[in-house]
Order: sequence, then structure tokens, then C-alpha cells
Amino acid sequence: MNTIEYNWRYSFISVILSAVAIMIVIRAGYIQVGPHKGDQEDIIIQNEGYWRTVYPARGIIYDRWGHVLAGNDEVYEVGVELQYVKNPETIALTLSGLLHLDFADVYAAASTPYSADPENPAVYARLADNITKEQKETIEKLMEQYASQPASSKKDVKPPSLAGLTFIAHLARSYPEGSVGSNLLGFVNMEGVGFYGVESKFNQLLAGTPQRVWVPLDPLRAEEMPRIPNGASLVLTIDREIQAAMENILDKAIEDSGSSGGALLVSNPRNGEILAMAVTPRMDVNKYWEYEETFPPGTPFNRGVSREYEPGSVFKVLTMAAGLDSGAVKPDTSFLDTGVFEIGGIYINNWNMGAWGPQDMTGCMQHSLNVCLAWIASEIGAPRFYNYMQAFNIGRMTGIDLGSEATGRLKLPGDGDWYDADLGTNAFGQGVSVTPLQMIAAISAVANQGQMPAPHVVKSMVNNGQQYDTPIQIVGMPIKAKTARQLTEMLAISLEKESSDALIEGYRVAGKTGTAEIPTETGYSSSMTNASFVGWGPVDDPQFMVYVWLEKPASSPWGSIVAAPVFRDAVKELVVLLNIPPDNVRQRLQGQ
Amino acid sequence: MDNVKKVTQAYSLAPWRRQIQVAVIFLVALTFLAWVAVVYLNVTARAVTMGSEIQVMQQDLEVMTRENQDMESELAHLTSAITLQVRARELGFKQVKPEEILYINVPDYTGRQPITLAPPPRPLVVEKSALDPEYTQSLLDWLDKNIVIPVQAMAETLP
Repeated sequence: MNTIEYNWRYSFISVILSAVAIMIVIRAGYIQVGPHKGDQEDIIIQNEGYWRTVYPARGIIYDRWGHVLAGNDEVYEVGVELQYVKNPETIALTLSGLLHLDFADVYAAASTPYSADPENPAVYARLADNITKEQKETIEKLMEQYASQPASSKKDVKPPSLAGLTFIAHLARSYPEGSVGSNLLGFVNMEGVGFYGVESKFNQLLAGTPQRVWVPLDPLRAEEMPRIPNGASLVLTIDREIQAAMENILDKAIEDSGSSGGALLVSNPRNGEILAMAVTPRMDVNKYWEYEETFPPGTPFNRGVSREYEPGSVFKVLTMAAGLDSGAVKPDTSFLDTGVFEIGGIYINNWNMGAWGPQDMTGCMQHSLNVCLAWIASEIGAPRFYNYMQAFNIGRMTGIDLGSEATGRLKLPGDGDWYDADLGTNAFGQGVSVTPLQMIAAISAVANQGQMPAPHVVKSMVNNGQQYDTPIQIVGMPIKAKTARQLTEMLAISLEKESSDALIEGYRVAGKTGTAEIPTETGYSSSMTNASFVGWGPVDDPQFMVYVWLEKPASSPWGSIVAAPVFRDAVKELVVLLNIPPDNVRQRLQGQ
Repeated sequence: MDNVKKVTQAYSLAPWRRQIQVAVIFLVALTFLAWVAVVYLNVTARAVTMGSEIQVMQQDLEVMTRENQDMESELAHLTSAITLQVRARELGFKQVKPEEILYINVPDYTGRQPITLAPPPRPLVVEKSALDPEYTQSLLDWLDKNIVIPVQAMAETLP
């Protein structure tokens, strides 16, 4: 081979290779700056990632011992990716059968033609939500079954197929205790918004703060996503066992007495913690969509805080407290009960229209004498009497950490509808409206050395890895400690002398019955009453206070007959659940 | 001229050596570029693999968080008050009455305490420097603190 042939072959190869290289470079440059640069950039941007709103898990609600009252279950949203649907009829048949959905709605949704047009997109259709894991697994088994079936040989027959179905997991609120404590908890709807109770009052805290995060699709740009803290969790003052027990007792009492409804509240009078709040009506808040069936219009979700009523003779505890504290009367002050007392132009009578003769103050409470208490109120005088009632927070909200609290109504001198006669009737709890919570909060002062703690249901909050305890707040001292002790002793003696059905062997308790006539359009009805009882114990070291209210009992209108036994049944459970030994045992153990 | 030519020729490389030099340099450069490309591809592939693993782990984290919440709720359902009451009755347990309980004094037993789910908030600690001010104060600061400010305060109090 001569030199010229040798050289041109190499030159030819180098020219070819160079030309290829130059064409590659030109093409790369064309792609970078050519007319389709914008489209390519759009595709790159679309596939870089996407913005996503991350909703943190809703905070858990516990009882005081750590039992979950409100948690989160994993549930699934079922939808179809329209692009992959092969047989919408199968989808509609399956979901209508398994999930009880409407066949026509599901068929219409699954039959929607796929469209990627940004102005009129049809890519995904949501069919159902909140289905359980078991339901999802059943559907997935069917999907696999249909997918493994051989294709039909007939061209016009569509084989059954669930292709296109997808499941998106998320958390939904769940209440393991069902209806226990439901009036306190409230519920959360499908959109994650709390209604009533603690769920509503602390909705923002429980829900947490959603965050928009960038989720990169390009693995090269993968980065750690910000840790989004769950919503705050709450520890309530409620004792689950006590709550369940009180609900059972209340339900039985309502059934036995033929009452239309009731409330049974238990609190710790020393610190205002609500240990149980059993009320009716009640629902399983896992089925919150049944709300209107259980709570017809006008029915409050929690009558313990929202329902105002005239309390009747339990209110005499406050009147007597005011009388003793102001010095208007002493425990041994004698009163001659003639059966009638005139005040403001009206005549006050006793519950049995009888005259009880000479009574001391303990006797007035023991026999629940309206005449005596009306006289005491007149001795106190209207300005001082209403000052005391306001100091007990009557006619004012307690500020409890629950929604929809009612204020009640205490007419005051100077109000357009207050008359002198109201001083007499208010003294025994008529003409004044309160909620059960207001009564238990006010009378806590009598059980707690004159100090009135703020009632609350949230014991502590757990947020960002720290637990914040609710401090005990003393909202007032309406009476002196000496007055509280005197009145407690009087009420304990009055129960013992009366051989009340509220007494429990081994435990000394103090309390007062109440029977209030219910006002109607034509005046007070003596056949329809609100029967109640308030009591606390042990007298020398109060650890519980119980308030019972039965609305319109049919078996008997009297609180001493229908409400006092409920108190006794409640205390029998409480002393066991709170580990309170009988008085003699407790005093002996304390002396050791 | 001939001598120059002879010297130049003596110290010049043969054409074939020059060609080999050029080829070798070219090949070395090519090899270097190839190594760079290999290393780049290797690192990128590993980064992509790690990135994919991170994405998978983040999805797993979400799944496990949901599962944890679900299991906590499932446990609560299984140990709910009513479920336990039913199980207790089936096992033959009866509700205890107050008079049936035997109380024993246990020294130093404080009783059942409410649940603690997290530590209390940490108290705010103001950090105090271990060094005396003499070691951190400048001369001007010292003059201000000990002479200027007291003189100004005195001047304000004088009528």
C-alpha cells in the first residue's frame, strides 16, 4: 500500500467520525435552544415533583389514666383511575354490594370517559371513603381473581374486571369507647372538623397545622421531608371506669323512675376536676351521622353544661351558706315554722303545705322547709343575698373547657323582671335557672373549706413532646372555711336524722335533696318536677362530689325518693374505683 | 546551516515517534475523560439509588405512622371499658362491693398517678458567664459604668 492510499483512508475515517461528532453537538444545541424548548421545559417541570398538603394526625384524647377515648383508625378512600377502567359495570356491582353504594352513581362515575385536557380533566373519580382494611382486602382479592381469569373468546362480551380501582389510605377519627363519655368528647366529621365537646373546643390544637411540602419525583433531588408534628393530645380529668359506671347507674335510674332524661356529675371538690359527666341523651359518636336521630332540634348535646333548669331545694345549700356566712343566722338559730311566709306580696308554703313548728337551721335543711329558707333570705337582705349568689357564680358561666356552656339566669334587684317576691322564691331554688355544672361548681365551695375551684375536663395537654398540666384555679371564696365546715356538718346530720336513702354504710356523707316544680305556660306544675340530689364525702376529707338530676320522673316526683338512691349507688361505685376505705379504716390508717 | 540541520536532526524525534506521542496523549486524554464519565455516572447512579431509597423510606414512614395510630386505636377498642366488662363477666368475675375490700397500709405508697405522656416543659435557664466582667469588659465599658453613668444620674437629681 502506498503512502497516499494509507493517508486518505485515515483521513476519510477521521472526517466521518468528526462529522458524526459535530452533528451530535449541533443536535444537542438544537434541543437546548430550538423551538420546542418550552414544551420540553414544561415536561421537565411537571416531572420534577409536586406540591402536597400534609395533614398531621389528629391528637389523641386520653382519660386520666391513659386509656384512649378518641384515636385514629386507618381507613381508605376508593376511587377509579378512569384511564384504566375496563368494565365499569363490575366496579358498580362490586361496590354497591360490598359497600352499600348506589349502583347508578358508581356506574356513572366509573363510566366517565378519560380526558387529560387541562381545561376539562377527567382522570380520577372518588367513589367512597372511610372503608375499613377488611373491606379493602376483600375488594383486592376480587381484583386479583378477575385479573387472573382468562380473556373471553367472544368479542362483544366484556370480562368482569375491577381494573382502575385504587385505594388511598388516610386516618379517620375513632372512638373506642363508643357512647361512653361521648357528650364530653363530641365528634369529628369526615372533613376533620370537631363538633361539640372537647373535639370542638380544642379543634385547632387537636388538628395540628397542615403544611404544604414539595415532593420531588426526581430521585436525584430527593430530600428529607420536614417532620410535621401531630396535633396536640389531651389528657382529660375523666376516669373512664367512673364515667362508664355513672352512665350505667343513670340509665338504670331513668328507666326505673320513668324520667325523660337526666344528668349525673362527679367531681373532685378540691381541684374542680370533673371525674364523670353522665348525661342523656347519648350516642355512639363513631356514627356521628345519626346525630339528628338522637338529638332532635332543641336538645343540647350535653345537658350537663347546656341545659338550664330551676334546681329547687338543692339551691337551699347556697342560701343557708349565705345565711351562716353573713351572720344572719347561726346553726342553732331557732325558727318557728308556721307553714306560711309572706314576702313581696306572695305567700310561701312548705312542700307538704304543713307547719313544722320550732326548728333549728339543721332542721330547716333536714325537712327542706321553703318557709324557713325564704325567711333566711329576707334576714340576709336582697343586696347581700344576691351578692352571695353572684359570688357562687350563679347566673354566670363557670368557664369550663367545653363548648356551648349556658349561663343560667339569676334575676337581680334592678332587673325589669325582678320583684321582691323573687327573693323568697329564689331562696329555695325557684325562679332561678342554673345548669348542673353550675350547681356542682358552686357547692364545691361548701365541700372545700369555702374555696371554689374552677371546674375543668382537660387535665393536661401534650404538644411538641412536652406535657402542660392545667393548674388548679380557685375562682373565688364565697364563704369562710368555718361556714363551709358548719354547713357540711349540718347537712351530714340532716341526712342521718332523716335516715336518707342517700346514706352509705361506713362512709359519712353530706348532701341535700331537691324537688323543683317545672314552670309551664299556665304556671308551675306540681306533677312534673326536676328531682335532684347533691352530696359529697367523706365529710372529714371530701374526695368526691356527686350531683344527680332526673327530669320529670314518673314513679315519684320527690328527689328524696328517686334521686337520693342514685347518689347512694354512685357513691358505692366511687369508693371502690377511687380506693376510698371506710371512714374508720381510713382514719385508722391515717393515724398510723 | 548543515551543522544546524545536523544538530536539529540529532535532537529531533523521529516522525513515527512524534505520531505515537500524539496518539498516546490523545488516548490519555480520552481515557481521563472516560474515567471522569465513569466516576460521574457511578456517583450519579448511587445518588439516584439513594434518592429512590429515601423516597421509598419516606413513604414507608408515612405508612408506619398510620399503622401505629391504627394499632393504638385497635388496642383501645380491644381494651375498652365495655369490652373488658363483658370479658370479665364471661370469665366469672363479679363486681366487688365496698364491704368486701380489704385495705392494707403500704408505707410510702402514693397511690395510682395520672398518666404522664411527655416530660414537663423545660424551665428557661439564663446562662451566666463563668468569667468575671473584668475579663470581658473593655476600658470604655468600665469608664461608662463607673464614672459616666453615675455622674449623669447625679446631674439629673440635682435641682
